[in-house]
Amino acid sequence: MNISLPHAGIVLLIGPSNSGKSTLLKTQIDGGDIKQSEVISSDAFRVFVSDQEFMDWRGMPKDEAGYAKDEYRAISKEAFAMMDAFIEARCRLNKLSIIDATNLQPDDRKRYLHIAKKHHVPVIAVILDVSEAELLKRDAGREHPRGKRRIKQQYQTFKREKRFIKKEGYKAVYTVDSTEDLHIRRQTNPLEIDLGNGIDVIGDIHGCFDEMTALLEKLGYLKNERDLYVHPEGRMFLSLGDIMSRGPKSLEAMLFFHKHVQANLAYMIDSNHGWKIARWLEGRKVTLNHGDERVKEELDRFEERAGKEKAEETKQALKKLLLKAPSHYVVTKNSLPVLICTHAGIKDVFIGKQSPAVQDFCRYGDTDGFDEKGKPVRKDWFIGHERQTLIIWGHDPKPRPLVINNTINIDQGVVFGGELTAFRYPEKEYVSVRAAKDYAKESDNPLLEWEKNRLNPPNIAKFIHGYNVLTKELGEVHVSADIVKPAIDAVSHVTVPIEQLVYIPPTMSPTPETASAERFMEHPAEAFHYYRSNGIQTMIAEKKHMGSRAILFLFKNREASKKYTGIDSLGVIYTRTGRRFFNRNQEEELLAQLCHDLTKSGYFEKYETDFVLLDAEIMPWNVKAKELISSQYAHVAENAVLDRTRLVEKLKVSHDGQEKVKEWLEEYKQKLKNADTFKQAFQYYCWDVESMEDIQIAPFHILAHSGQTFFDQPHTWHMEMNCKLAGMSRFFVETEYKTITDEASEKEVIDWWEEITKDGHEGIVIKPEFFIAHNKEKLLQPSLKVRGKKYLHIIYGMDYLLSQNLERLKKRNTGKKQKTALKEFALGIEGVQRYVSRESLERTHECVLAVLALESDPIIDPRL
Amino acid sequence: MQLTIRAVGTNVQVLSHLLAKNPENVYERKQKGHLVRFFYRVFKENEVEATIFVTPDPIELSNSRTNSYDITHYINDREFAVSSIFCSFIRNALGTALNGQPKEEYAEWVPHPFDLYVEFGPVVSSLSDKQIQELFEPLGFSVDITYGETDYTANLKDRSTARFLSLRGMKTLQDTLRQLFILIPVMDNYKHYYIDEKEIEKLQRYGEGWLEEHPKREYIYRQSLRFKELYNAMEKTEPAQEAVKQEKKVRLNDLRYEKIISLVEQQEPKTVVDFGSGEGKLTVRLGFLPGVQEILAVEPSESASLQAIRRFEKANEKSGFVQPTPMWGSLFYYDERMKGRDVIILCEVIEHIDEHRLPKAVETILHEYQPKTFIVTTPNREYNEVYNMNEALRHTDHRFEWTRTEFERWCQERNKDQAYKLQFDGAGEEHEQYGFPTQICVFTRKEEER
Repeated sequence: MNISLPHAGIVLLIGPSNSGKSTLLKTQIDGGDIKQSEVISSDAFRVFVSDQEFMDWRGMPKDEAGYAKDEYRAISKEAFAMMDAFIEARCRLNKLSIIDATNLQPDDRKRYLHIAKKHHVPVIAVILDVSEAELLKRDAGREHPRGKRRIKQQYQTFKREKRFIKKEGYKAVYTVDSTEDLHIRRQTNPLEIDLGNGIDVIGDIHGCFDEMTALLEKLGYLKNERDLYVHPEGRMFLSLGDIMSRGPKSLEAMLFFHKHVQANLAYMIDSNHGWKIARWLEGRKVTLNHGDERVKEELDRFEERAGKEKAEETKQALKKLLLKAPSHYVVTKNSLPVLICTHAGIKDVFIGKQSPAVQDFCRYGDTDGFDEKGKPVRKDWFIGHERQTLIIWGHDPKPRPLVINNTINIDQGVVFGGELTAFRYPEKEYVSVRAAKDYAKESDNPLLEWEKNRLNPPNIAKFIHGYNVLTKELGEVHVSADIVKPAIDAVSHVTVPIEQLVYIPPTMSPTPETASAERFMEHPAEAFHYYRSNGIQTMIAEKKHMGSRAILFLFKNREASKKYTGIDSLGVIYTRTGRRFFNRNQEEELLAQLCHDLTKSGYFEKYETDFVLLDAEIMPWNVKAKELISSQYAHVAENAVLDRTRLVEKLKVSHDGQEKVKEWLEEYKQKLKNADTFKQAFQYYCWDVESMEDIQIAPFHILAHSGQTFFDQPHTWHMEMNCKLAGMSRFFVETEYKTITDEASEKEVIDWWEEITKDGHEGIVIKPEFFIAHNKEKLLQPSLKVRGKKYLHIIYGMDYLLSQNLERLKKRNTGKKQKTALKEFALGIEGVQRYVSRESLERTHECVLAVLALESDPIIDPRL
Repeated sequence: MQLTIRAVGTNVQVLSHLLAKNPENVYERKQKGHLVRFFYRVFKENEVEATIFVTPDPIELSNSRTNSYDITHYINDREFAVSSIFCSFIRNALGTALNGQPKEEYAEWVPHPFDLYVEFGPVVSSLSDKQIQELFEPLGFSVDITYGETDYTANLKDRSTARFLSLRGMKTLQDTLRQLFILIPVMDNYKHYYIDEKEIEKLQRYGEGWLEEHPKREYIYRQSLRFKELYNAMEKTEPAQEAVKQEKKVRLNDLRYEKIISLVEQQEPKTVVDFGSGEGKLTVRLGFLPGVQEILAVEPSESASLQAIRRFEKANEKSGFVQPTPMWGSLFYYDERMKGRDVIILCEVIEHIDEHRLPKAVETILHEYQPKTFIVTTPNREYNEVYNMNEALRHTDHRFEWTRTEFERWCQERNKDQAYKLQFDGAGEEHEQYGFPTQICVFTRKEEER
């Protein structure tokens, strides 16, 4: 006899004592078909809790027997409680538990059925049907016989219960009358599929057959002589379901998948439309709507063409395909899950499990009642995804793949005139085909709805009490209420409109350690050390411009701006605190010039983009900071020079013999020099601006185009792009940079740094080769600034280099600055990625607002 | 920070005794890490010149203060300018002279006037040269002021903000020092230092015998005591013209509130939202409207909200007052709490917002919150003629002020879908040609009328 054990769940052995349960299991364990740890025996648990397996009170005096009975009952109760908890844990973990107990009482079995249901695993029953005579014979022969009476009693119960077991709801029931010639077969988890040579996951097709075949061809699949699409590298494609309904060629799509699934070339999972059609094909009474009626129409026409018999045959085949489709797939690499594919969503605890509840969830996602139009109100199931495994899903059309909390939605609404997306794994690339047209023609096209609602004002309730932003790079970033309020206040009063405020540049830390070199506060060596010790081999050193940080959001034309921001303009230029950089007239003049220059150079055409988002420095410093320079730096310089000049004069002509006065004179001569250095230092960054012509813009990051971000590019790419920009408009200036790979190039950068900073240049920024860098799991500082000796006079004061000052200043702590820099960096990337994915304004704004809030946190030393 | 005292004439060497400083030695003392130094540059029979100066420890100086999150905290004039801190640094060194208590045999020289030259600085002050002269000339000094250099490569500023003062007069040493100890802090643009009560007492002691007679006495007192009154703020003097304008404004404010109250009253609302409620002057009046059950006072500014809360608490003592709920909100976010209210008011709010940001904010109000009545008020620019204001706007933060036509057109544009009925009105004294100083539009939701 063959017994097929599920890959996980509960196997209930049912039979009285001596029916051979333990013996059977022992044989199988010895044969290696089941593991010792998979067997859960009540006897064993009695030993665990009480050190005894069995109690015999036969022949005991009545008072002692009474005690023994009570004790045995108590032991059994504890043993079963422990055992149940144990089984539950194994069920949660999707393991197999074989229960070695008599399981004669219906309540016991019900309990296991319940546990299995609760944890979405199957239960099978294996009944050991042995005659009463045989049972009694075996009992007599064992070490601790249970006794005739007890055996007889158990047999009676068994005989009575046997009839009901089949109806109790097991996935399978096996009745074994002889343990000889028994074969155990272990099933693998049908939801697990091996990654093999790669998998291409395809979003909701909805009868858009032509787009689907175009997509497969784009993915490199070739049609063979049997009309099968086969990938030359042996890749497989997997549909996230909803291959039919709403669109024009549902039947073709279904037949296509039927053929390919049969041929083991493709996978398809269950889905809401698929399930509905399956039940309709089964002959159940269902209302065909939401485009399902079109499937029926197609099948009716097919019947007219091909005849009733052929149609029926096709229907049966399709029904089988749809009913067999699993709730989700777990793609494994080296037997470890790496990717989960589901239609509408999944809970982490459901992964790798199948039950009606799991199937329901995977088909419909997490729904919370219906809205006034009768549409399900969708809950954000992905919020609960905590496991590291990536989940791919569809079902809910979004204009762009939505990456959220380690899940990716790839339903781009092809049937609504959007795109059909494929996600290539393990490459993690998107390939898509645009729909020929809007096939569904629904009045509430979800893509248009999305677009319409995209710019809705963010909901203040989400932010005002503090909130978390889930970033891809750093996980959850918390923003507390006390720093959110000033940020909202700023957004309401002084920043550019929320629609244009898509990115706030992160703060940048100086080197974590101050210079070990004497007479220096900061030195490139410490930046090299930071990256080297974090496993970064290649770095880039960029000249740090001393102007004012600016974000340039430049559109191709006014229509593009209107489309993206709802604002009629050519874009916006704002400061690192979100304020408009220039006055309106200046800005308009500059934007018009930049737009003209970029258009003339064919920038927007060449890169197929509606906008470019640039992170830049605008010079000179005094354009934005004249007031600060004049009232702070110049003012301090004048006072210092005046004070020290006078003192030097006085000290010079002192009457002889006073050594102390000479010392003072020397001290003040040096201090006067320091004051002069200070006075020069800030002037180096200022020049008169007569008109906009005198302004220079040095972009250093191309943050985004309308379809993509560039955070995956190395900095050399950004620098090359900046170089191209400089060739397109005279406003743009190049940024000098050097690549660091070895000691020689480190030395070269140090020499370069010393040379440019001697003139008063601010310094350099050292970055890892790539925009986003990790050391193992740890996100690294995206950049470290190394400021020049001269420049630092305006940061640490004109006398900072005096050894008694430098010594103390070197004790600075950059810990908090570094943490904030990382948070803001992660938030910045997150925000731009959300923006480019055309997510709602609220989703982008939560990132921007968080950076503004973190920047308003007063704890960080502003000199860092 | 430095002070030089020079005297010419006979007997000037006696100054060393009045100062209690030996001309043979230099003086150097450490005070909280800062060095106080004194030396004689000239010590002749007919000429004596001594300088006292402080070499501060800049790091110590910046450690001891609050506001450390501002970069200007670290780069500022405090380590150079003569200020109250300078006075407290040098007080010990000059104690004998200040108190006029030299060794007994020199006591007779304390009241003796010398031909004194006093130089000190740099002085950082918002006072004009003339105002500075007015401080010292009544005391018998002639005043000479020199400026720091502004030889910048770029045009950063017209004139230096660092000055050096030279005074000359026939004065006693004690009087001179006492006067400087009071007037130096008076001139200085106070920034970071807190001066305790004891210090103020000392300042008053130094004023004995001359301050009462000084024509600028009021000003000197006020400046000296401003530290004490720091938290009461209000020390600014308002020129007379300003006051008249102020009065006019108060009157208009009242008229406007009265008008709005009467407009709101007509609607018989249960719930009212005062968006941008500020210090709650309008809100508090809404609290007395019969029938009103709930008032939301929406204001993002923390300090204004606190004043509003005090105002509400005070009003709450009277009967029939519905205490408004202060709320933190913004026009640029969606706020569920604003939904379905009877009346939403934007009283003198829109002109503080960049014009291009307004349409969306108002759209949220009209089409998301959907109040039965929406009242918006803003200045009527035409009326500025009556105030003889030329091109000026009524407030520095006003981003615009509209004529009646502009306002009406703007309101019509907000109502493109004709969901509201518009009614234009005004508040204040109406002018035949220019209309009301404040213009008002009442939006009434149409479906509510059916």
